[in-house]
Amino acid sequence: MGLVEVATGKILSSFSVFLFLTILLMVVSRRISTSIVLFSVQSAIIAAEAFATAFRERLAAAYVVAALIVVIKVVAIPRAFFGLVSHLKTSTDVKASTTPTQSVFIAAAMIYLSYAAVQSYEQSVHVPEDALAAPVALILTGAFLMVSRNKALMQMLGLLVLENGIFLAALTTTFGMPLVIEIGVFFDVLIGLLLMGVFAFRIRDTFDHLDVSKLRRLRG
Amino acid sequence: MRIALNILQALILILGAPLVRGIIARCKAFLQRRQGASIWRPYSDLAKLFHKEDLVPPTASSVFRLVPFGLFGTTICVAAFVPLVQPSALLASRGDFILFVYLLAMGRFFLSLGALDGGSAFGGMGASREALISSLAEAPFLLSFVAVAILASHADFAGMVAWTLQQNIFNVSAVHMLAFTSLAMVVIAETGRMPVDNPTTHLELTMIHEGMVLEYSGPRLALIEWSSAVKLHAMLALLVALFFPWGMVSNVSAGAVILALLLYCAKVVLLIVLLAVIESGMAKLRMYLVPDFLGVASAVSALAVIFTMLDKR
Amino acid sequence: MILITPMLIALLGAFVLLGFRNPQVATRAALFIGGLEIASLMVVVWQVHEHGALRVGRYLRVDGLSSFFLINIAFISGLVLVYASGYLRHPGEGRFSSPRWFYALVFVFLFTMISVCLSANLGLLWIMMEGTTLASALLVGFYNTEGAVEAGWKYLMVCTVGIAFALFGTIVLYLAAVKAGMNPAAALDWASLMDAVPRLNFDPHLVKLAFVFVIVGYGTKIGFVPMHSWLPDAHAEAPTPVSALLSAVLLNCAMYAVMRYDAIVSHAVGTGFPHTLLLIFGVMSMVVAGLLILVQRNLKRLMAYSSIEHMGIIAIGLGLGGPLGLFGALLHIFNHSVGKSLLFFSAGNIRENFGTLRMDRVSGMARTLPQTSLALVVGSLAIVGLPPFSLFVSEFAILSEAFSQERYTVAVVFLLVLSVVFGGFSYYLLRMICGENPKNAPANGKLLPSEYSVMGIAGVCLLFFGVRIPHIFTVILQEAMAVLR
Repeated sequence: MGLVEVATGKILSSFSVFLFLTILLMVVSRRISTSIVLFSVQSAIIAAEAFATAFRERLAAAYVVAALIVVIKVVAIPRAFFGLVSHLKTSTDVKASTTPTQSVFIAAAMIYLSYAAVQSYEQSVHVPEDALAAPVALILTGAFLMVSRNKALMQMLGLLVLENGIFLAALTTTFGMPLVIEIGVFFDVLIGLLLMGVFAFRIRDTFDHLDVSKLRRLRG
Repeated sequence: MRIALNILQALILILGAPLVRGIIARCKAFLQRRQGASIWRPYSDLAKLFHKEDLVPPTASSVFRLVPFGLFGTTICVAAFVPLVQPSALLASRGDFILFVYLLAMGRFFLSLGALDGGSAFGGMGASREALISSLAEAPFLLSFVAVAILASHADFAGMVAWTLQQNIFNVSAVHMLAFTSLAMVVIAETGRMPVDNPTTHLELTMIHEGMVLEYSGPRLALIEWSSAVKLHAMLALLVALFFPWGMVSNVSAGAVILALLLYCAKVVLLIVLLAVIESGMAKLRMYLVPDFLGVASAVSALAVIFTMLDKR
Repeated sequence: MILITPMLIALLGAFVLLGFRNPQVATRAALFIGGLEIASLMVVVWQVHEHGALRVGRYLRVDGLSSFFLINIAFISGLVLVYASGYLRHPGEGRFSSPRWFYALVFVFLFTMISVCLSANLGLLWIMMEGTTLASALLVGFYNTEGAVEAGWKYLMVCTVGIAFALFGTIVLYLAAVKAGMNPAAALDWASLMDAVPRLNFDPHLVKLAFVFVIVGYGTKIGFVPMHSWLPDAHAEAPTPVSALLSAVLLNCAMYAVMRYDAIVSHAVGTGFPHTLLLIFGVMSMVVAGLLILVQRNLKRLMAYSSIEHMGIIAIGLGLGGPLGLFGALLHIFNHSVGKSLLFFSAGNIRENFGTLRMDRVSGMARTLPQTSLALVVGSLAIVGLPPFSLFVSEFAILSEAFSQERYTVAVVFLLVLSVVFGGFSYYLLRMICGENPKNAPANGKLLPSEYSVMGIAGVCLLFFGVRIPHIFTVILQEAMAVLR
């Protein structure tokens, strides 16, 4: 259908811009719930891109993967996170170690860096520059969130953003890896999050707070 | 014909400004589950003010008396800059965005002088806060325009709007999105809306813009209120014209003009609803957090400018 | 079928063990299942030795290299299971801290590590590598103390991020393979890649980029400096059997993954780039770990840093290449795991009897714990690389390769670090073994049969391999080396 094709084309050409916007908003957000919602929006954008790629390249496996993203990353994981936040009964502050202004400037620098990094690969991979820079920016943002946010839950969220970036890199360059491997990766991420949730509870029970910057007993 | 349309645009901006204020107030009331006043209320407010007595503090000089006229004058000039239904306006090709920004600054300067001259403590406090906010907002204000101007290769609004009209609506440009975000934040700061300033507050210690006009009354107050309404309308119209101008007429005909006008009203109403939602959803920022807010706007606009180098879109 | 058996036994065994609530019954069942596991692994190894590489379906494959690592897993897991049967007399608090959970988690951990060695597909390798992190996280935090929880969280976080980078490297290699013309379904299969790399034209930039990410990612699991921050904490806070498993088996499996990628990348862009990277990481790990050994206070942390140092030695061996370097690296993998297990077992005994692992609070061991002191001395002498123990042989091989390639800087740094480590170890050892008895000296230092039998086997193995490597072992090593050519 003409409309679907037009929509697909527009999604493929402009999704990276919206991802950059979610990155910028995520680094300034001050509450955990805002960050979780932004992560959900980010995953929805990536799922839309996956559907568009599946339609354009006529790959059945990509449809399955896109559906998995929607179910797991857009719905299930944010829901689990919200449940975790309410059960842990912790404050909703993000405990950032950088002010919002500094965070946005760092995010801007990272976006510029990601463009600079993919310059040399654009020719060899035949993918538009934005679509290569967006995953790298997501990876850098995930790492930045893990380093600068002192709450255990925010470190988990940073890890999820990192995985989003890696998955997006696979999607834009190779249209996805073999289906079994993708499902295995999802499975691993889920179990990893489950274990991290268990550990978050243990941290809260042992230390009475969730501030990982205070976990400094083991040094040297 | 074009000139007539330009004059019509300016008149719509100036005369429609209180209506914009009324719609915002009605939307906020709706979101807060109140009945709210009628959307035509600001007009009756202005009419009432024009009939009231004009009290001037005994310690005020002639500056106090002249400020409202100066403010109104600069604001009318600003209103002449903004294209509404066609990609040109009365002054749109005669001055560039720098003139626009500093005309607004001049108006603010007059208002601060008047506030200081009024002799009340709250006037001075409001003036100093306003000075802080506007000096911080100046950078993102200019940089957002710079980003769009670099892409359009024109510094005047007519050129910028004409360039944007030629672009494809769906090829969302990163530069435009970032410039829109930062300009929207600047609009909130400059026009004194939540979360930077509460326009409906009655607590003097929380006032910024309201504190500056505390001593004015009667027709002078009416002029000042009208100027701030025109400023809000002009900036909203500018957001629409620079980033979503599609629907403007190119060949002037009655049908096209009416269609463009209706489209413009629809877009402005959408922006107003968005503004009302943001205002109702966020608490007012404490004064020391406002520089953070504007710092984020600066960073976003700086990124927009950097992106013009990368994307060329 | 033969290949699936070890994996099935481990996985099903884990589930079965969860049903045994009685600790004694659970322990005995664990020993039994462990025995079955080792037997099935030996069958696989024998099969490979007799008939060459074996392949089952699309995802499982075993060849000379895998079987060498399977021997390593089998031997160490056997020692660890026997040791743990006596060690777990005092379970901790917390939901997952009973013996049946311990053994169940250990078997899941073993399942993931065996699957790493048995996977034919690089994607499956990655999934199982991540699985090892997940399976061992709860084991690291087993005691649920403050230190254990912190160590477990750090371990989980740092290793998951590292492995995510390894996933990126895998994706880039996949991209290079698909672009060079390989069938996407086969582009992650190691054997097909090794076959296709000499023939097809792989983009060298992409392959190098992939290797950088892979060595950083899997290097996090190996414990290369500067990604090593999780290692001392995790190995120190985990229960002793788990520490032995982590140091002696998990690090080796991660090195296995790097070896597989090194083979592909060397065939694609030549050995210069990957081996230089391995040398850099190896030397950095040796130097930093060697220096940090001097300032340790906790015995198990000391041993963890020693593990980092030895992984550096293995990386140097791989990075030097050549027949002697590769031989030395592979042999060192085995020798180090035996020696490190012996050291950790003695540390466990010290903790049981003295109640602490702080080296400044332990002294006079020669009188109170004679057998443990003997084990500790043997283990330390072996670990620092003195003859007649087996680590001397493998380190000598690597050093000879360095000299024959005229890489004198590497050799000099190698020897310097070894001397520094020797000095550190002897200082701490002498303080612990000689000297007065502390006030809270243990009354009797009797070892359980499970404990001293295991330590005895490890010590004898170290000595034996130092004097003469059995011929069958040499053959297996050569088969492993042939795979990487």
